[in-house]
Amino acid sequence: MIPLWLIPVLPLLGSAFNGLLGKRAGKGVVSVVAVGTVAISFLLSLLAFAAMKGAPGHRIETTYFEWMAAGGLSVPFGMVVDPLSGAFMLVITGIGALIHLYSVGYMHEEEGYARYFAYLNLFVFFMLMLVMGSSLPLLFVGWEGVGLCSYLLIGYYFETDYAPAAGLKAFLFNRVGDLGMAIGMMALFGMFGTLTVSGILEQAGRLHAELGWGLLTFATLMLFVGATGKSAQIPLYLWLPDAMAGPTPVSALIHAATMVTSGIYLVCRLAPVFTLTPHTLDVIAWVGVATALFAATIGLVQRDIKKVLAYSTVSQLGYMFLGLGSAGYAAGFFHVFTHAWFKALLFLGAGSVIHAMHHEQDLFRMGGLREKMPITFWTMAIATLAIMGFPGLSGFFSKDEILYLAYLKNPALWALGVVGACCTSFYMWRLMALTFWGEPRDPHAHEHAHESPWTMTAPLAVLAVGSAVAGLWGIPKAFGGSFAIEHFLEPALTFGQKATGHGAGHHEGPAWLLAGISTILGIASGALGWWMYKDGLARGEALGAKLPGLHTVLLNKYFVDEGVEAYLLRPVRWFGNLMWKLVDVIIIDGLGVNLPGALTRVAGDFTALWQTGRVRNYALTMGLGAFLLLYVFLK
Amino acid sequence: MFVVFALITLLGAGAMILQKNVITAGLCMVLCFFGVAGLFLLLANPVAAALQLIVYSGAIMVLVLFVIMLLNSHEEEPAAQSRPYQRWGGVALCAVLGVGALRLVMKSPAAAALGAKAGPAPAMTLEKVGRELFSAHLLAFEAVGLLLLAAMIAAVALTKKEP
Amino acid sequence: MDGLMSGNLQGYLAVGLLLFVAGLATVLVRRTLLMQFMGIELMLNAANVVLLAFARTHGNDVRGTVFYLFIIGVAACEAAVGLALVIAFHRHRQTTDADRADLLKQ
Repeated sequence: MIPLWLIPVLPLLGSAFNGLLGKRAGKGVVSVVAVGTVAISFLLSLLAFAAMKGAPGHRIETTYFEWMAAGGLSVPFGMVVDPLSGAFMLVITGIGALIHLYSVGYMHEEEGYARYFAYLNLFVFFMLMLVMGSSLPLLFVGWEGVGLCSYLLIGYYFETDYAPAAGLKAFLFNRVGDLGMAIGMMALFGMFGTLTVSGILEQAGRLHAELGWGLLTFATLMLFVGATGKSAQIPLYLWLPDAMAGPTPVSALIHAATMVTSGIYLVCRLAPVFTLTPHTLDVIAWVGVATALFAATIGLVQRDIKKVLAYSTVSQLGYMFLGLGSAGYAAGFFHVFTHAWFKALLFLGAGSVIHAMHHEQDLFRMGGLREKMPITFWTMAIATLAIMGFPGLSGFFSKDEILYLAYLKNPALWALGVVGACCTSFYMWRLMALTFWGEPRDPHAHEHAHESPWTMTAPLAVLAVGSAVAGLWGIPKAFGGSFAIEHFLEPALTFGQKATGHGAGHHEGPAWLLAGISTILGIASGALGWWMYKDGLARGEALGAKLPGLHTVLLNKYFVDEGVEAYLLRPVRWFGNLMWKLVDVIIIDGLGVNLPGALTRVAGDFTALWQTGRVRNYALTMGLGAFLLLYVFLK
Repeated sequence: MFVVFALITLLGAGAMILQKNVITAGLCMVLCFFGVAGLFLLLANPVAAALQLIVYSGAIMVLVLFVIMLLNSHEEEPAAQSRPYQRWGGVALCAVLGVGALRLVMKSPAAAALGAKAGPAPAMTLEKVGRELFSAHLLAFEAVGLLLLAAMIAAVALTKKEP
Repeated sequence: MDGLMSGNLQGYLAVGLLLFVAGLATVLVRRTLLMQFMGIELMLNAANVVLLAFARTHGNDVRGTVFYLFIIGVAACEAAVGLALVIAFHRHRQTTDADRADLLKQ
């Protein structure tokens, strides 16, 4: 039996070591500890995964101790490994180890090297707690913990102005979501009287689908609000583009591959409950597709290479929720899995470029890097093909399955999804063309550009292989595959349910036709994007000049940040100011705190008059007291 | 005889209050203590009278006078700040208390009855005091001994010059 | 007022009370620590007078004298410690004025 607790605890120990002793230990020791603990966790996760496959019901659940007990509430501290959490564990520790290794090269010259790895290890710990926790409160601990680490790592360059602000923004947006998550958790507890995942799912298995807007729908909607916060969906997506202020490996690990997918994990974890609430699924699907399209259009015009990838991530997360909302939990998870590979690769590749260009992130100042950085170029090309859905690569299968399920739910969802996919192809090839083709637009930086060290290119290569083949795990049935991932996940997705299975089983519809349309359109728009930018900025600028209104709106991200500022933040700030100056300063500080204080002081000053400090006065007072006693008793 | 000794006592006390010179005041107090010793004799208690002379008029007064000489502060220092209310308040309070208590004692039928009841009694002897002290009050006696020891050590510690 | 003039109980009580009031007045009116100290001795003696006077009315009870002895013992202790305090105070402040012992108030 593998000690499951060791898997998250190892990165925690690494974090403690790096945080407490890292500065003295030196960079070599820090690197070994940081990468080593996560790598060992990965090996242990592999063992746990194998053990899980052999276990009855594909499920290992251990309880270590009673964590909270109050009245009817009893929360065990336990861990669970089933196909869902097992796969997430492998992604977290596997890609996590690669990104740790990459960071060794990327962060080499940074001041807070040990601090960085302490945070990153801590993140791995919390993320593992999130997926392994056997109860919702434990999941919530991980949920909050990854938010904290995200905040710390976004604000890693704390001496700048924008990074701490971005970290704060991410933290606050997550707070809003977390509130929803907590409310949803309590609603579930109110309904089922338990907070363990297995207990909730077993009881949910006895319920019928809720067709109206009842408590269960409310609970799942609230949980989805939590998911939108963590996974950057409308309306809580604004923090993710700003989160790119953190170091690039952080963007790859936290803000592309793992943390932002925890919303999808949450929905998958409680999939049977969500299945019971069709209204929530509708909301999820529409929010998902809206986010996918919305973010993709913003991504079309961004100049910052990481911002493009950030909006791409938001957009891809939207696809995942579209899959979930179409009751295709396996499809949504499948996209998480493939996306983790190619998006991590894209971010690491972008990091490699940024590293080579001396921290230049502006696409308009790059160009012509193809020969200079061949490994980065080829690996990123694979990732780009994967994300645009080039047939045979991973993104093709997962995105196509999602779009297919969306079509079954509502053809309008499918159409919007396809438009978003076309935008995806366009902005990805625009990014590639601007980075690697054309004339160098910053000759000086170009001159010094060079391929990155092996610690950075090795992870790129591994991730490139993953991006290419990860899709083979779930070749949809329509293409002659078996969609093995659905079968694999079934023990987790149908835990505690009746044997009849769930709604995603019926596969019918023009699968080949739909896939053909979306693929051809995707490739065409990708080619268009590449053609427009391969020789420089001229063609793109001409197009922007023809559509000035649209261009401005997209460039300013639909003015959402400004709208939030004007219609949400300013009133809140005004109200806060009012509360501060009126309620806090005058009522609470004045009447509540200073007035009793002043009264006490006056009373004290008055009574202090008697305390003359002269012994004879005291004796006189004593004599007076004696006289009064005499008078009272002998009157 | 009672009136004589009572007058000696009260006049000694009164003179002590009014004396400016501390040494003279101390001597007035010795006079007062002599009066008290006389009163004790009238109360058929020669033991107490002897102790009064030995301990108060002898030991304690010598100690007080010794300290006065040591500190060389015979005269009262000029007041740092005039406080008439303290003086007149004190005098008034003492007067009220004294008159009130006196009236109480004189008017009290119980005190009168108690005084009338007292017949002739044998004089106190040292033997009786000793027997009582070392039988019924042995523990208290030892405690007082301990208290004296503690006071002695405390006095030494307090007056020791700091190194 | 015959009790006051003659040697019966009320006379002794009156002497004791006046002695006590005299001691109290000394403490209240005089500022010199040594004078205040002597006032306290007067008050103790007032207590002694009253005590022995009462003992006399109870057939000259020997316990009155024993108690008187204890009071003397305590008074001796008080004298030793009190005078030591006066000396220590004089050493620090070069004064024996009780009103000048006001460091805590300042």
